[in-house]
Amino acid sequence: MKRTGFLYDERYLLHDTGPSHPEAPERLRAIYKGIKEAGLLPRLTPIQASRADLKWIETVHDKNYIHRFKTACQSGKTTFEYPDNQMCAETYESALLAVGGILDTARLLMNDEIDNAFCAVRPPGHHAERDKAMGFCYFNNVAIAARYLQMEWGIRKIGIIDFDVHHGNGTQHIFEQDPSVFYYSMHEHPSFAYPGTGRVFEKGSGPGVGVTRNYPILPGQGDSDYIYLIEHDFFPTFDRFEPEVILVSAGFDAHADDDMSGIKLSTEGFSRMMKEIVQMAENHADGRLISVLEGGYCLERLPELAKNHVEVLLNA
Amino acid sequence: MTQNVVTIEKEADIIEAARKMKRHGFRHLPVVETDHRLIGIVTDRDIRSALPSSQISDTRDGGELTGLAGIKIIDIMTPDPVTASLSDTIQDALLLIQEKKVGALPVVDEQGVLKGIISVRDLLRAFVHVLGIGEPGTLLCIIVEEKIGQLKKIVDAITEENISFGSVLVSRYWEENKRAVFPYLLTQNIAPIKRKLKKMGYTLLDPMDWYIDQVS
Repeated sequence: MKRTGFLYDERYLLHDTGPSHPEAPERLRAIYKGIKEAGLLPRLTPIQASRADLKWIETVHDKNYIHRFKTACQSGKTTFEYPDNQMCAETYESALLAVGGILDTARLLMNDEIDNAFCAVRPPGHHAERDKAMGFCYFNNVAIAARYLQMEWGIRKIGIIDFDVHHGNGTQHIFEQDPSVFYYSMHEHPSFAYPGTGRVFEKGSGPGVGVTRNYPILPGQGDSDYIYLIEHDFFPTFDRFEPEVILVSAGFDAHADDDMSGIKLSTEGFSRMMKEIVQMAENHADGRLISVLEGGYCLERLPELAKNHVEVLLNA
Repeated sequence: MTQNVVTIEKEADIIEAARKMKRHGFRHLPVVETDHRLIGIVTDRDIRSALPSSQISDTRDGGELTGLAGIKIIDIMTPDPVTASLSDTIQDALLLIQEKKVGALPVVDEQGVLKGIISVRDLLRAFVHVLGIGEPGTLLCIIVEEKIGQLKKIVDAITEENISFGSVLVSRYWEENKRAVFPYLLTQNIAPIKRKLKKMGYTLLDPMDWYIDQVS
């Protein structure tokens, strides 16, 4: 059994997106409930959030942007930059705690106190650009973790796999010129789904050409397409890249019952996919993998999906 | 349209035209008199057809190509090309380019003086702009009865959810008396509006189903 870290903090619930917003605190409650009721908590290493040092956030985001975000929160605004981005006075603090918790998780991983981890955080991160909040995301959690691992721990090559049903435009753009961070994304085709990026021809730029890979999935597709893709494309791609740590942008919104997308992944499909990803981490990264929550909005399915996700990590 | 047009004179040789195209990344050069009146157009394809294939890639180096200096623009250009006028609309240009099967239209004034050029590339840019797909959003496909007032109900329902439109396209549908409406919504948060539209009695299609039907 692996030593699996589990980052969860009730302060992530304080990020209030108002009534009837899908990115709601209930998502995290559902995830926590699923893991707790399955009796998994005693087998996990609990990780509490702490505030991130701004210097790490500044490795990815513009100082002006961070300041704008903080000021908007403190002034009592309920949206930030797009109507999608609903927030409250606590949002900035929650976002700082999300990043801080993930960086603590990365430290535990590098100190060999855990083997892998699942970070159940809010707000999510993969749509957040260097200087723009998008799609419910404010700080790009995974991107900041990648920079931290490189700068603080000397990791050279990081592989990010993003299976949220939406393309992680922020993560892609942050690393598109950087050959040391591979961004691999599977998502619903951008002609139909938010945010409209992540087309096959987006492959990185400058020195980063070939180190971004997008695989759009057409609406209606599901398990067999994802598994085929993982086995026949993701594996050979990361075999060539040889990442030293794997970061997962784990969104559960490709589930058939999640009405945020037209993709039809089953509960078992998610587990099979995650097993393969964990195997990839074993092959190249000594099993070092940090999974970070992105989207996933079906409150009825999240408990089981989160439970299965964590079980895959424990049994890796 | 592009206003500062790179042009060529009829007596110039084709090597000069090839160099100009390469330097500026254009595929069409309007041919003008000294008073800037349009007399023809020359395309990269005209030049390729005139050159021996072995020399096409070698237009940087004049050496071997001097033998071809005898071929002048006036020998290979299309005289009196299809043109657009300054008062034409984007739709005019779109239909004209499609009908005449050309890649670009020189734009001339009433005296035939060249004022600009509009190419397929310009139209593509306009199309991306019209679709609104440069902005983050989500595409829906709603099937409606073909009767007055349907679009208003849909637009009202979406507006009530405080969602902005990137674009709305309406298209024919395979069933008689039905239309497919494609709102491109500038939001990630589409679940509530989808539920609302279904409750209103609309059929929401996977846009992909419609696509497959159209392209097959």
